[in-house]
Amino acid sequence: MFSTKPYHAWLPILLVCLAVAANAQSFRVQCPTTTVTHPTASNVEPPYTGATTFSTSSGGFLTPSAHVNGAIKCQQISGGDGFATMGDGTQTYMFSFGPLSGLADIAAGKPGTQFPNVFNTVYSGAPFQPGDPATTVLNGGAFTYNGAIGLVPNLDANNGTGTTGAPVDGHVDPRPIMDVAVLNGNIPAPLMAIDEDDEFFLTLTNVGQVMRPDLFEQHTVHFHGYPNASGFYDGVPDASVAINIGGSFTYYYLAPDAGTYFWHCHITPPEHLQMGMVGQIYVRPRQNRVPVGNSLYAALQQQQADLRTKCDSADILCTNPLPASNAVTRAASGKYAYNDGDGSTLYDVEYPLQIHGFDPNFHFVGMTFNPEGFTDMKDKYFLLNGRSYPDTVTDGPLATMTTDGSMHYSQPLPSIINIPAGGKALLRISDLDVTEYQTLASLGIPMKVIGINAKLLRDQSGNNLFYNTNSITMAGGESMDVILDASDTTKYPHGSVFFLYTPNLDHLSNDAENFGGLMTEVRIN
Amino acid sequence: MKATNMKKVITETRLLLATVMAVALFFTATAHAAAPGITGPTFNLQASPAYITQPDGSMVYSWGYGCNGAPAGFAPATIQTTFCPTMQLPGPTLIVTQGATVTVNLQNNLPASAGNTSILFPGFNVTTSGGVAGLLTQEAAPGATVTYSFVAANAGTHSYYSGTQGDLQVEMGLYGAIIVLPSSIPADCTSGLHASNGAAQAHWGENDFRLAAAAFNNAKACYDREYLFQFSEMDPRIHHEALVQVNATAGCAAGAPGCSLNVATEPYVPAFFMINGRSMPDDMDSNYASQYPHQPYNGNPHMHPGEQVLLRIVGQGRWQHPFHEHGNHVRVLARDGNLILSASNANDLAGPALFTTTTTPGQTIDGIFYWTGKGLNWDPYGHSNRADVPDPLAHLTCIPDANGYNTGAPTAINYYEWCQDHNKPLEVAPFGDVARGGPATLPNANILANGAWYGGSPYLGPNATVRAVGPTGTTPPSGTVANPPTEEAAFAYMWHSHNEREITTNNIFPGGMMMMMLVDSREFQIDEQN
Repeated sequence: MFSTKPYHAWLPILLVCLAVAANAQSFRVQCPTTTVTHPTASNVEPPYTGATTFSTSSGGFLTPSAHVNGAIKCQQISGGDGFATMGDGTQTYMFSFGPLSGLADIAAGKPGTQFPNVFNTVYSGAPFQPGDPATTVLNGGAFTYNGAIGLVPNLDANNGTGTTGAPVDGHVDPRPIMDVAVLNGNIPAPLMAIDEDDEFFLTLTNVGQVMRPDLFEQHTVHFHGYPNASGFYDGVPDASVAINIGGSFTYYYLAPDAGTYFWHCHITPPEHLQMGMVGQIYVRPRQNRVPVGNSLYAALQQQQADLRTKCDSADILCTNPLPASNAVTRAASGKYAYNDGDGSTLYDVEYPLQIHGFDPNFHFVGMTFNPEGFTDMKDKYFLLNGRSYPDTVTDGPLATMTTDGSMHYSQPLPSIINIPAGGKALLRISDLDVTEYQTLASLGIPMKVIGINAKLLRDQSGNNLFYNTNSITMAGGESMDVILDASDTTKYPHGSVFFLYTPNLDHLSNDAENFGGLMTEVRIN
Repeated sequence: MKATNMKKVITETRLLLATVMAVALFFTATAHAAAPGITGPTFNLQASPAYITQPDGSMVYSWGYGCNGAPAGFAPATIQTTFCPTMQLPGPTLIVTQGATVTVNLQNNLPASAGNTSILFPGFNVTTSGGVAGLLTQEAAPGATVTYSFVAANAGTHSYYSGTQGDLQVEMGLYGAIIVLPSSIPADCTSGLHASNGAAQAHWGENDFRLAAAAFNNAKACYDREYLFQFSEMDPRIHHEALVQVNATAGCAAGAPGCSLNVATEPYVPAFFMINGRSMPDDMDSNYASQYPHQPYNGNPHMHPGEQVLLRIVGQGRWQHPFHEHGNHVRVLARDGNLILSASNANDLAGPALFTTTTTPGQTIDGIFYWTGKGLNWDPYGHSNRADVPDPLAHLTCIPDANGYNTGAPTAINYYEWCQDHNKPLEVAPFGDVARGGPATLPNANILANGAWYGGSPYLGPNATVRAVGPTGTTPPSGTVANPPTEEAAFAYMWHSHNEREITTNNIFPGGMMMMMLVDSREFQIDEQN
């Protein structure tokens, strides 16, 4: 019937079509196991024993020759919608991000950021249920999977020989993604944590907003505060690309300097931020990875050998220059907020704490098919990690039943500050309120402010500029690092309870209900 | 208003805004910013009424300071098209040199029913002559004048504003900025990297739009470019009520019974959020643009990699605004013109480095911002040593200085490149002539929406963009390109209030306290003149 000639003529075109089809897959994830910067597959943070040294590769660029620091980390999130439960029991509609990797960790209040060997684990259990992990857990089951939802071996890349030998290259099956992500929004958005020198592959998968079929909202990720950001990965839709419904985009970041950052969608910010598309990300310093007993000062001196990690007054934005020479060594336990070189930012436990506010009228209008007004926006729910008091002192994830009839972990991150007796807690506080300034005060334990806007408070001469205060005031778009020092066990004994609360007294309410709002407990354990 | 009607109104205004933006974008292609103002040291000012415009089409009755006769001069001299109207918002930026004795003669040309007016100069030791006694200072009665005199002792950025019934008069627009230039410039500001940054600007034919080479007489306060941002908000109800009452009392004799205003300034519901008296996108039109006869100053910052850029940030109005600078942190040099220095070394800075600089009414911040691309871990210029790439600009060298930057040759097109990432690929398998073998796979373009300020590729500058995606680059479906791939292809960043409600104009998004900052590669000539 067919001559072979036309067949040969069509074959290249057919192959091109296949290739395009594979590349054009709308949903996909990216989590390479090796890169130029991390040439050997590794799923641990190596100790920091010296600055990375480089040699020039055949490609004409520098590749590490010794002291490869950091690792590869990956995370997948959804952009969509969901519902959250307010302190007065109201279920509030949100535009929101949800977890699509690290689901078990997120449900446990931990960051959903994973090493490649966890992220790239292909799931093999019973099919995911809408609302998972809440649906499975609340039915008495166990949910332990932390890999990328939807990840499957790529049969297209395997010449049709079945699953045997098919590579796990980021190809996904969209069905489990939709099953898990639809109406699965979180407030705050999934927690992220990376270490200095990491490469971070963050995939945003836009699953659409089933409650608003009239909208075709794109979403983005703005890594707020990323120093020397590229315009491309800054997440501002006007200045870059935005991700349509049905698509995935992988943001690529080399971890910036240590500090408390945060992230949010940058589409129509007064709308998408008010509606709930706000999350937390922090970067841990390489000083954590200095072997126990080694000099912190010497480790900071070592950092000066790599021009990327060097920090002195030649750079006007350097805020952690060498302090006065000292003999402080890496503590046997605990972590540091910054590369301080003097141990002054040591803490025992850390709590990301995000301040936000919801205007119920705006959220109601946002659930209907009407445009919202901005001028009259007025928050009535005041949130710490998406919760108002008394939900702030509830352990574990908060679940909300959404319009799909399933329970979802809408507010996975608790906001109780548990400090071991005699210990120090680092509060990584960020504010993404879109309407007004809010104040957070500490009753009992003074707040020691050690960092502002993801920068250590230190002058160019190396003097720490920490200060004690009873309250901090922040607007949307700011972050602070605050240490609650409970090392005096006489003042702060085991079993005692203190409070973080707002002296903006009208913010101690949940809409019409009194005794709520921006307040939580600090418990000495 | 019923919801359906509101929807119609907003839809129409959004369409209108899109049209306005399209027109505005036409003008913004070459409109940059600087920190323009008038020189003294004697300033003849008046307080007068006029209408200002907002991007939703509103004409808002306002009061502002303006020139009473031609000023002594305009600065910077490289801006040639200038004017100083009888009323402007904000008031004229007064530029003086540290140590000068400044004299401000203020004539009150407000409506008689507005009563007296005055100016406060916080941070300066002011002596007055003439006028009538007021609560905070000597005031000018309607039609009369008052004189203020002070020595400009502190360098840096300062504010001035009405000291009479401030809740109304400041709301109506009576405020402005004073820039005091240091009396001597540290040698570091005209040597080393600052000299080579200047040489690079000159090589590409760019004029120097700075008012000085340093913000203060301190080597850490040198800068290569500068911008002034004044933040204020307006409640249109107050302005409307003032106008109604002014009209009702037109022609009344000052001081006569009933010749006064009684405008409620609470509850306060601002709907316009302005930077330099304009809302986005108007703020990105040029300085002294003819369509804004009473709002001459813009907010449209541009810079090249490595330039130390001085931000002069002033809180006017009555609210605080968290000003978020995308792209990098800002090192705070000074607050209210007072340098913040280390307790142990007066040559070292002690101000914080912030990614959000809160503006507070009556407070100023001088800070330094820069962008270099350090730490991206890929080469934003898309350099490559691939033999199959014919463009010689793909094969430039990068020779690191002591801090890792390519600063040896100010004439190089990749001057100030961060060398550790030179030739380092971003994409696994790029389509175009840029380095390959990187970490990222870019998705099919069909799942992405491009913004009006998207340069058309992940890369910086026209050369890299054309190499990466072809001769025309990529454009948004709207075809609206504010950052053309073949001409500018800057990295664009939004600088805005992070109380995001304030990036709206009278309920319309986008608008308000927002502008785009563009980091331009060297081949794009930044011209801050209009």
